[in-house]
Amino acid sequence: MFRLSLRTFRERWQLFIGALLTVAMGVALVQSALLILISAASPVIPAGLTPIEHQQVSDGYTGAITLLAMVLALATFLAVFIVSSTFAFTVAQRRRDLALLRLVGGSRGQLRRLLLSEAALLAVLGCGIGVPLGLVAMRIQSNLLRGLGFVPPQFTPRWQDWILAVSFGVGIGVALIGVYAAARRAGKVAPLEALRATGAQQRVMTAPRWVFGLLFLAGAIALMVLAPLVGPDGAIPMSINVSITAAIALAALSPLVVPLVGRLFGLVLRRTTIGGLAQANLREGVRRSASTAAPLLVLVALVIGLFGTLSTIATASRIEMRRSVHADLVVDSGAAVAGRIGAMPGVAVADTQVPVGVSVVTHDDGDVETEGATALVIDPTTYRSTHPLRLAAGALTDLHGAAMVVDQGDDLSLGDTAMVRIGGRSVPVKVVGVLPETLNGGQDYLLPRDLVPASLLAGPSQTVVRLAPGADGAVVTRAIRDDGGQVRTVAAWLAANASEQDKMNSGIMTVLMGLAGLYALIAVINAVVIAAADRKAEFATARVTGLHRRQVVRMALVEAGVVTTIGLLLGLLGATGTLIGIGSAVSKFTGRGEFDVPWGPLGLVTLVAFVVVGLTSVWTTLAATRIAPVRLVGAHE
Amino acid sequence: MTSGPWCGELDIMNGTDVGQLVGLATAVELQGVTREYGTRQARVLALDGVSVGFPAGSWTAVMGPSGSGKSTLLHCAAGLERATSGHVVLAGQDITGASDRQLTEIRRRSVGFVFQSFNLVGSLTAVQNVALPLKLSGRRVSMKQVRTVLDSVGLGDRLRHRPRELSGGQQQRVAIARAMVTQPAVLFADEPTGALDSTSARTVLGLLRRMVDVNGQSIVMVTHDPAAAASADTVLFLSDGRLVDRAVRPTAVEVADRLARLEG
Repeated sequence: MFRLSLRTFRERWQLFIGALLTVAMGVALVQSALLILISAASPVIPAGLTPIEHQQVSDGYTGAITLLAMVLALATFLAVFIVSSTFAFTVAQRRRDLALLRLVGGSRGQLRRLLLSEAALLAVLGCGIGVPLGLVAMRIQSNLLRGLGFVPPQFTPRWQDWILAVSFGVGIGVALIGVYAAARRAGKVAPLEALRATGAQQRVMTAPRWVFGLLFLAGAIALMVLAPLVGPDGAIPMSINVSITAAIALAALSPLVVPLVGRLFGLVLRRTTIGGLAQANLREGVRRSASTAAPLLVLVALVIGLFGTLSTIATASRIEMRRSVHADLVVDSGAAVAGRIGAMPGVAVADTQVPVGVSVVTHDDGDVETEGATALVIDPTTYRSTHPLRLAAGALTDLHGAAMVVDQGDDLSLGDTAMVRIGGRSVPVKVVGVLPETLNGGQDYLLPRDLVPASLLAGPSQTVVRLAPGADGAVVTRAIRDDGGQVRTVAAWLAANASEQDKMNSGIMTVLMGLAGLYALIAVINAVVIAAADRKAEFATARVTGLHRRQVVRMALVEAGVVTTIGLLLGLLGATGTLIGIGSAVSKFTGRGEFDVPWGPLGLVTLVAFVVVGLTSVWTTLAATRIAPVRLVGAHE
Repeated sequence: MTSGPWCGELDIMNGTDVGQLVGLATAVELQGVTREYGTRQARVLALDGVSVGFPAGSWTAVMGPSGSGKSTLLHCAAGLERATSGHVVLAGQDITGASDRQLTEIRRRSVGFVFQSFNLVGSLTAVQNVALPLKLSGRRVSMKQVRTVLDSVGLGDRLRHRPRELSGGQQQRVAIARAMVTQPAVLFADEPTGALDSTSARTVLGLLRRMVDVNGQSIVMVTHDPAAAASADTVLFLSDGRLVDRAVRPTAVEVADRLARLEG
C-alpha cells in the first residue's frame, strides 16, 4: 500500500509538499516558542548586579513570559489549524483516487490506514525538517525579542533534549488529528464516485462542521459578552480569543458562508463572460474556495484583532492617564533638585516620586513567596493633590511609617502585614490602602518616604508639578531647568508615554505575528497551489471550448480575487468580535466604549493578501495550462 | 459474431427470468428492483420493478435510450448502488441489505469492473494497476500471474508503462486485465468500448468473449453500441426503467433496429 502512496506522491507532489511544509513550519514555530518560553522562565541572571538592576533584569523576564506564552499559544493554534486543514484538504482532493481503490476491492479500513500512515510518514518527515528549522526560528525570534528590548541583551535560549519528543509529538499528533476525520470520511467514499467525472462533488457541510462551527461560534459570542465583566488583565486575552474562536467557527462554517458571499459577488460578476464562468466555478468548488479562504481568514482575524486590541487599550490608557494626573509639568531630576522645586516661586504643588527596588515576602498557605518589585516612594499629601485617584480600599492619609499601598491584583489585602526588604533590611509593613484597577498596570506598591532609608531616596526621581494660579509656566520651567532638572509639560510627557506605548505595541505585534503571520501566509499560498493542482483538466476543457490561455488565467484570477475578498471579510468579522469585546472592556475605565480600527495594518494585510493570492493564482494557472489542452481533455487518467 | 439457434428470434418479455428460459444457473438476479432518485418533490424513477436473472457463463448486454436506467441497473446489480426496494442476489448472496464489509468482500472475490473511462490509477504502471486488486484483498501477488494476464490481453510488452503512456485501447485492456486477475464470477462492464476506435473495440470485445467462452465467467454489459451488443449472448432492452424487449444472439443490425424503435 505504501508503494501506492509513494507513487501518488509523484503525481500529486503539490499536495504532499504542501502538507510537509505546513508540518515543518508548525513544528518549528511551536518548538522555538516553547524553548524561548522555558529559557525565559528560568533565567540566568548575571552575578554582580545591584539589587535594583537585578530586579530590572528579573522584571524584564517576567514581562516577557506573558508575551512568550502568547507566542506559544498562537504558534500552537496556527499549527493545529493549518496542518489539520491542509491535511483534510489534500484528502478531499484525492477523493476520486480513493473511490477507485474502493471499486477494485479496497475496504474502508484499508483506506483509513493508508491515509493515516501516509500522514504519519509525512509528519515524521515534516518534523525532521521542522526541528532544525525551529532552531532558525528560535534565533530569529530571540533576536527580535532582544532587539525590541523584551528580554535583556544577554538572553540566549537554551536547547532542551526533551524538546525533540515534544516537537515530534506535536507534529505527528496534529497531522493525525487533522487527517483522522478526513480519513474517516474518505473511508465512506462510495466506489461509485470513481465513475463521476468530477470527484469533488460531495457534501461539504458535514455534521462535525456544523457541530464545531456552532460550538465555536457560541464560544466566541460568550467570550465577547464575558470579556467586559472580568478585569482588564482577563479581558485582553479573552478578547483576543474571540478572534481565534470566531476564526475557527467561520472556517468550519465556511462551506455555508463562502457561497453565500460568492453569490453577492455573482451579481457583479455575471455581467461578463469570464466573470460568469468564475462565479460558476466558485459555486461548484465550494470545498476549494472554503479551504483557500480559511488560512487567510485566520490571518486577518488575528492580525486585525491583535492590532485593534493593542491600540484600543493604548488609546484608553492614554485617556486614563491624562485623567489620573492633575498637574502642569513633569520634572526628571536628582533628589537635591526635586527637594527644591516645591519652594520655587509659581509652584503650587510638587509631588516627588522615587522608584525603589524592594522584595515583598508573602505567606500563602504555608508557602513563603518572595516577590521582587519596583515600589514608588511618595509623599501622600502631595501625591493626593496631584493624582485625583480614589483608592479601592483604605486611605492614602494612613500612608506613613511601616505602611504601604498595594495594587488590587496583589495577594495582599487591606490590613495584611508583609515583610518588605528595603535597602538591605527587612521590616514588617502593613497594608493601609489598595489601588484601583487600571488599564496601564499602574504601580505595584506605594511606600511612604519615612519607611525608606535616605540613601535610597538619593536616586533619580520624577516630580509632578502643579503651577500656582496665575504663574507663568515658561518662567517656572526655566527656573527648574537652570537648577538642573529636565522639564516637560504634562501633555509632552503623556505624548512621550504614548509613543513609547505605540513602539511597544508594534514590537509586541512583530514578536507575536512576525513568524506566525509568515506561516499563515505560506498556508494561504499552499492552499492556492493545492487547489489548482486539481484543475488541469477543467482548464483544458475551458480552452478547447474557446478560451485563450490568457482568459483562463483571468478567470482564475477573478476567482482568486473573490475568494480573497471573502477570506478578508470573514476575517474582519472575527476581528470585529474581538474589538467589540475589548471596546466594552475598556469602557469601564474610560466611560467610552469605542474601539480603534487599525487602518494601517488592515490596508497592508488587504494589499498583501491580494498580491500574494493573485500572483500564486496566476503562476499555478499558467503552470496548469502549459500542456496543450487536447492532450488533457482526451486523457481520462 | 457467434451465431446460435436463437439467433434473430424476437421475444417480448418483461419481468421474466432469462436464466430460467435458457436453463442456466444465474450469476446475478434482480427481483422487483426499484430505484428512485431525488426528493419527494422531484422524484425520478430510474428502475421500475425490474426482475431479471443474468445466466452464469453467459454474456448479457443491456441496451436502451439515454436515461432508460441502464447504468442504474448495472450499478444496482453490482452492489454499487442500493435498490430502493426489491432484492439483488449476486454470486449466490442476497446483497440487498449487505454491509459495506460484505460488499467489499464481494468486490474482492466475485466481481470485476470495466468502465468507459478506464479508471486506472494514473500513478501506477500497468503491472501495478493489475496487481492492485490482489494486493488490496491481501493475497500474495505472483508477478507471473500478473504478467500472464497482461500477456493474454496482448500487453506483454507494456508492463512498465503508465496509463498516460498508453492508447485508449491499451488502457482498456489494462482495465480488463485488472478485472480478470482475480478471476471474478461476474464482470460488470459499462460502455467498455464507448471511448475506443472500432479496431480497439473489436479487440476488447474479443477479450470479453474469451472470458465467457474459455473461463466460463459471466458478463453484464451496458452499451450504446449495437456492434458491441451483438457480441453478447443475450441483449435486453430497457426503456423508462422497465425491461421491454429481449433478443438472443442478434446481429448488430437487428439490435440497431430495435433500439431505433425504442427511441422513436
